[in-house]
Amino acid sequence: MRWIETEETVRFNEVDEWGMAWYGHYMAWFEVGRMALLRRFDLLPGQMVELGYIAPVINVNCDYKHPAACGDRIIIRTSVMKPEIAALVFQFEVMLEKDKVLLARGETTQVLLTPARKMIYRPSGELASRIARLVDFCVQD
Amino acid sequence: MEELVSNIKTLRQYLKKMIIDTLKLEDITIEDIEDDAPLFKEGLGLDSIDALELVVAIEKLFNVIIEDEDVGKRAFASINALARFIQEESE
Repeated sequence: MRWIETEETVRFNEVDEWGMAWYGHYMAWFEVGRMALLRRFDLLPGQMVELGYIAPVINVNCDYKHPAACGDRIIIRTSVMKPEIAALVFQFEVMLEKDKVLLARGETTQVLLTPARKMIYRPSGELASRIARLVDFCVQD
Repeated sequence: MEELVSNIKTLRQYLKKMIIDTLKLEDITIEDIEDDAPLFKEGLGLDSIDALELVVAIEKLFNVIIEDEDVGKRAFASINALARFIQEESE
């Protein structure tokens, strides 16, 4: 599996009263990673709309392994799995930059809809080929 | 496979087993699935992700493509509807 990496810094407004990064912010960090990966394959949300599709997240999970603190430099690693069905399944790992301690591991599932919100069961055309390029990039060693 | 598709009664039973196996429905048997009951929501209670999995299984088994929700609504209306849809598309 091939991952792409993006860096962020944990901001003051992202930590809770106990000095730990608030759990909900990991979703925002996943989003940073997702955009960085989608950008490479011309699959950003606006580009998807141009092709006539939207791709809402219908499932998210996250295992928290270690807390992050304000000012920590973090690395977000992002990849996608080879899909068995017409869905985009992203994998995420968030780690500390300095000693590569794993902070959290997560996954999101997106389905493909038309703007009128009809579900696509089998992508075709330009959308299918862009998704295929994205998957090929991520699944190779 | 042609023989299976041509006999609607056998096909219906086969599709019920396929749905149970594909979606790993643990508490449901072939007898629980009615021929005319809706597969989604108020019927068998399947959801849109279940539809995505069934579409892949149907394409593998019957080489029949259900490309989107519009076609899916017709195909997944009931076991009877699905069997007829597969028969029509296999012709």
